[in-house]
Amino acid sequence: MSRYAINSLLYHLKKDPDLRARFIKHPSAAIADADLSDEERAAFIAGDMRKINELGGYLHLVMSIPKIGTHGGH
Amino acid sequence: MGEIVFGGAMSHVLDPDYYQAACGDLGRQKVVEAMDAIGKMGDRFVERKPDALIVVADDHMNAFSFNCVPAICVRIGKKVQRMMQDNAEAFDKVLDHMAPEYALHEELGNSILEQGVKNGFDLALSWEAPIDHAFLSPVNTLLGRRTIPPLVPIFVNAFIAPQPTARRCFQFGQHIAGVVAKSPWAVGIIATGGLSHFPELLLGRVGETDTVFDRKLIHLMERGEHEPLLDLTADELHKTGSHEFLNWMVLLGAITPARAEVRYFGELPRINLAAVEWRL
Repeated sequence: MSRYAINSLLYHLKKDPDLRARFIKHPSAAIADADLSDEERAAFIAGDMRKINELGGYLHLVMSIPKIGTHGGH
Repeated sequence: MGEIVFGGAMSHVLDPDYYQAACGDLGRQKVVEAMDAIGKMGDRFVERKPDALIVVADDHMNAFSFNCVPAICVRIGKKVQRMMQDNAEAFDKVLDHMAPEYALHEELGNSILEQGVKNGFDLALSWEAPIDHAFLSPVNTLLGRRTIPPLVPIFVNAFIAPQPTARRCFQFGQHIAGVVAKSPWAVGIIATGGLSHFPELLLGRVGETDTVFDRKLIHLMERGEHEPLLDLTADELHKTGSHEFLNWMVLLGAITPARAEVRYFGELPRINLAAVEWRL
């Protein structure tokens, strides 16, 4: 598992609208090049933010990615 | 001879809509009460005619990401921009209505940085880092439509282990007090964040607070007993959701041994909202 890889991807999903749009449309293709473990990749593809957080994803990123995060109302 | 003329600390998501969504009507009611108390603190701030406002807060992976996470960073330069986020949600949305740019007190920022390095603080510096809700929600709530004096934003790494120690943050605050004392300026300082929320930074624990721990911190600050706070550990802060108290430790170092007066404390399931002012 790579704490850096997870968080780098979360950061870019938040800050890069094009990547975010591609991820929403086709998650597995959008993150195909990301250096993730099988477990991490599965969590992203499933949109399982709780799992991503448990695997090391930074809470505030998990909560604030537009259209993907937990919308702060969790 | 310079002087710290105002010291305050407060929660830093100050937005009724955010707390309405997170905690319902009670959330809205309590954050409005907190914002009202902070606005009254602003009245006293303005009366003291500060030349600058130091804001000690944390980044939320908006300014620094994982390219670099400085333990303590002084934002220098002439101006600072607010963090921009397309389709902002949650705490980021708080920024949408705020001015995009703020003046900095360049001389004070440089003095804190340069004298700090001479005094053994290996400070980071940034000319470009934007500032997020942790800085701007308190500043805009404190001052409303009144003139915002030139800012000196100081980032403390509250979240990404290993963080600076509580003791080191306090020592840095003492350094700030020394710089201000040798300057010609009247300076206000605020620290933001907290009190307890998001223990262990786990999504599954969002909605938990630690009121007993918060009241212990407040009790010590009210009595001006800062020594026990120097030994707060990263583990304690992490487990109780008090990561952002590191910002408050910088403020405490700057104003010690002044005693705190609580202007607002409101328990919510999501966070304990607080606004505190020091008798200087």
